[in-house]
Amino acid sequence: MSVLVLDRVSRWFGNVVAVNDISMTIGPGITGLLGPNGAGKSTVINMLSGFLAPSSGTATLDGATIWRNEDIYRSVGLVPEREAMYDIVTGWDFALANARLHGLAEPGAAALRALTTVDMLQAKDRALSTYSKGMKQRVKVASALVHDPSVLLLDEPFNGMDPRQRLHLMDLLRTMANDGRTVLFSSHILEEVERIADGIQVMVAGRHAASGDFREIRRLMTERPHQYTIRSSDDRALASAIISDGSASGVQLKGSGPATPMGESEAELHVEATDFSVFVRVLPRLARERGITLYDVSPADESLESVFSYLVAR
Amino acid sequence: MNPVVAQLTLRGLLGRRRVFVLAALPVLLLLFSLVLRLTIGPSEDLLESIIGGLALATMLPLLALIAGTGAIGPEIDDGSIMYLMAKPVSRHLIIRSKLLVATVVVLVFASFPVFVSGLLLTQTSMALVFGYTLSTALAGIAYCAVFLLLSVITRNAVIIGLIYAIVWETIVGTFVPGAKTLSIMQWSLAFAEKAGGDQAVRLGVQSEVSPVLGGILLLVVTVLATWYAGVRLRTLRLAGEE
Amino acid sequence: MPTPADAATPQPGSPQPGSPQQNAPEQGVIHDIGYRRYTGARLGRGPVRTALFLDTLRGCFGLGRAGKAKVMPAVLTAMVVLPALSVVFYANVTGGTDLPFSYREYVGSITTLVFIYVAGQAPQAVSRDLRFRTISLYFSRPIPRSDYVLAKFAAMSSAVMIFCVLPLLVLYIGALLAKMPVGEQTADFLKGLALALLFSLVVAGLGLVIASVTPKRGFGVAAIVTVLLLADSLAGVVITVAEHQNNPTLSWYGGLLSPLYLVDSALAWVLSLDGGRLNDQLPPDALGGLVFVAVLLAVIVGNYLLLNLRYRKVSVS
Repeated sequence: MSVLVLDRVSRWFGNVVAVNDISMTIGPGITGLLGPNGAGKSTVINMLSGFLAPSSGTATLDGATIWRNEDIYRSVGLVPEREAMYDIVTGWDFALANARLHGLAEPGAAALRALTTVDMLQAKDRALSTYSKGMKQRVKVASALVHDPSVLLLDEPFNGMDPRQRLHLMDLLRTMANDGRTVLFSSHILEEVERIADGIQVMVAGRHAASGDFREIRRLMTERPHQYTIRSSDDRALASAIISDGSASGVQLKGSGPATPMGESEAELHVEATDFSVFVRVLPRLARERGITLYDVSPADESLESVFSYLVAR
Repeated sequence: MNPVVAQLTLRGLLGRRRVFVLAALPVLLLLFSLVLRLTIGPSEDLLESIIGGLALATMLPLLALIAGTGAIGPEIDDGSIMYLMAKPVSRHLIIRSKLLVATVVVLVFASFPVFVSGLLLTQTSMALVFGYTLSTALAGIAYCAVFLLLSVITRNAVIIGLIYAIVWETIVGTFVPGAKTLSIMQWSLAFAEKAGGDQAVRLGVQSEVSPVLGGILLLVVTVLATWYAGVRLRTLRLAGEE
Repeated sequence: MPTPADAATPQPGSPQPGSPQQNAPEQGVIHDIGYRRYTGARLGRGPVRTALFLDTLRGCFGLGRAGKAKVMPAVLTAMVVLPALSVVFYANVTGGTDLPFSYREYVGSITTLVFIYVAGQAPQAVSRDLRFRTISLYFSRPIPRSDYVLAKFAAMSSAVMIFCVLPLLVLYIGALLAKMPVGEQTADFLKGLALALLFSLVVAGLGLVIASVTPKRGFGVAAIVTVLLLADSLAGVVITVAEHQNNPTLSWYGGLLSPLYLVDSALAWVLSLDGGRLNDQLPPDALGGLVFVAVLLAVIVGNYLLLNLRYRKVSVS
């Protein structure tokens, strides 16, 4: 049973803030780190795997600081995102070398077990450079499993895998989690996370946007009031349509005169929607029925909306 | 020393075409010495211009540069060093293992050929040949340690190493007398000078420092560079792909 | 290039009455989201070559690349220019009548730096295209492979020429400012210029050929420097040995091994200067001169042909 803890961690590179004041606790089971590209997922994984120091805050594994602590690798297995490996050695030599680097008592048996787990035995005598992307990915997973770690960190592990291999890896992660291990993987694809993760951590633009059970987050996001700013060819008519439809709890007109596509007018319509998913479907229909042209529909509370529209975009 | 790190390093250094570049230099040196031996015959003057001029001034720094930076640079560049780093292995131990491999490569591809070439060319000064061989070995270790450190610190290690080994040691050294005393080559040459005795004096094999001082400086540079490379490896950042 | 006609077409994302989004809500449809075909003029081979040439040339000095890539070219350029600058500064202050060395000698003294510059830049000019397989993107354009080679060869040569000629220009302008005899300085400058240009052609070509067979950058750098420096050292050894043997013929031909001596000796013979290899050697006979000219041309043309041969074989998949 191992627990990873990030406590008020920030990480910046020069002027760029990659991770902004994040606290999370990751315990046994599968946790999905979800977010769009550039959200800071890799930075978090790098800090949890000891390859990056937090600029502020602490990252610990079972209470021990991770940064500059080589001992954590006894209980941590890491599958990096980058594809480069020692190209000229064979799959077997690579797994064996990893086992020996861990100082295991029976490196041969460990390497064999790890390669069997990822189903790479038949290709073990070929050089890594001849492997396909999916095969490389599986050998990388094998190299992280040789020492039977209690924590497994995977950075974008499903990239480049075909559907069958993807299922296989998902099963494998599932098994590891059922054994009481802590598994954290990053992904920008919702289905992957939804399918196997017990809990998710959502990151957007370096911030910790949401965490917990996926369905719970979804419910929280859809059920709270959502605010929109709308510009249209006839705000007044649209406002009355929205109110009479009942999908919004409040409508406020600002400015006057019809808006133009170029946005010279100040006129705006502020809407507080009760149910996000209903409202986004109703709004275009209302506009079409009344011959109103929508120029601009933008959510007023940007960050969470973007997560959500990102999460539900298929 | 960690045998796995050493093995992987050795395969990286000698694998693919790299081994041909490494071998080209000593093969040329040996061929050249052989041709001279057969056409002109052994001569101490030849010994000085071939070993002192070609082998020590050009071949050794280049070989040490290829071995020293090649032992870790490509792994840091492509990120495969992560597999060594994500292990409960001391960073200093990784550096020491890599230094050992690079040094052995330099001994095999530089010191040994220098010794054979010396045997081919010398008539009477076996002592000087031994001295030269010792010099290449000592300078080789120090060069490898410095170039290994450079590779951990910067991605421009090869170019910076070249500027040091070629520009600083030969060009700047000829114009700025002080620069000569700050030179791995000069420190190690003190041993060839000492071993060569009168022959060395006659042939102009001359170092700016005494063997004792040279030896201390070589030791200090090697130890410091190795230690600091380990420190820097602990905090290595693998950000940015190209 | 945007034309007035483009400006009239709808911008992406703007709602349009009558677009498929509103006409066929339930059926499968491809929405018009504003993609446009390129309707402007298509430029031919010439501009493609020029673009490739300029981009490579700029890249050789770190322009248009990351900040770190600018450091090395700048440092090396400073290393070749600063000594020249300090010499002419001194001459201007003390009012000398002659430079302490000839322009040819100055080219001779910066050869190692030129080698390092080429070793640093030739791999970035060609290896990355090979390693990241961007080469296939170039060859999917309607340009023949020989155009790619020509553009890269010309760009690398020009970059090295700029690198070599810059300090000579500094010396020349400085010398004129110090009121040194114009005729004498100009003649000497032109000799140095000819040496610098031909030397650049030779070294750039060698560098590109080696870089084109070494996709890993660090390895390419090491290989180029090894070959160039080793050639130089070998020439030095042959010459030393030959002089020891009192064999001026062997000593002369030993210069063939060194890129600098090769160019300088050929040039000296053609222009009937006082001697090749920076003034201390005369050809034993006319044949001696001819051989150098022939080898010089063979090296320059040979590099170019080898490069063409190499790119004929590069697979684009």
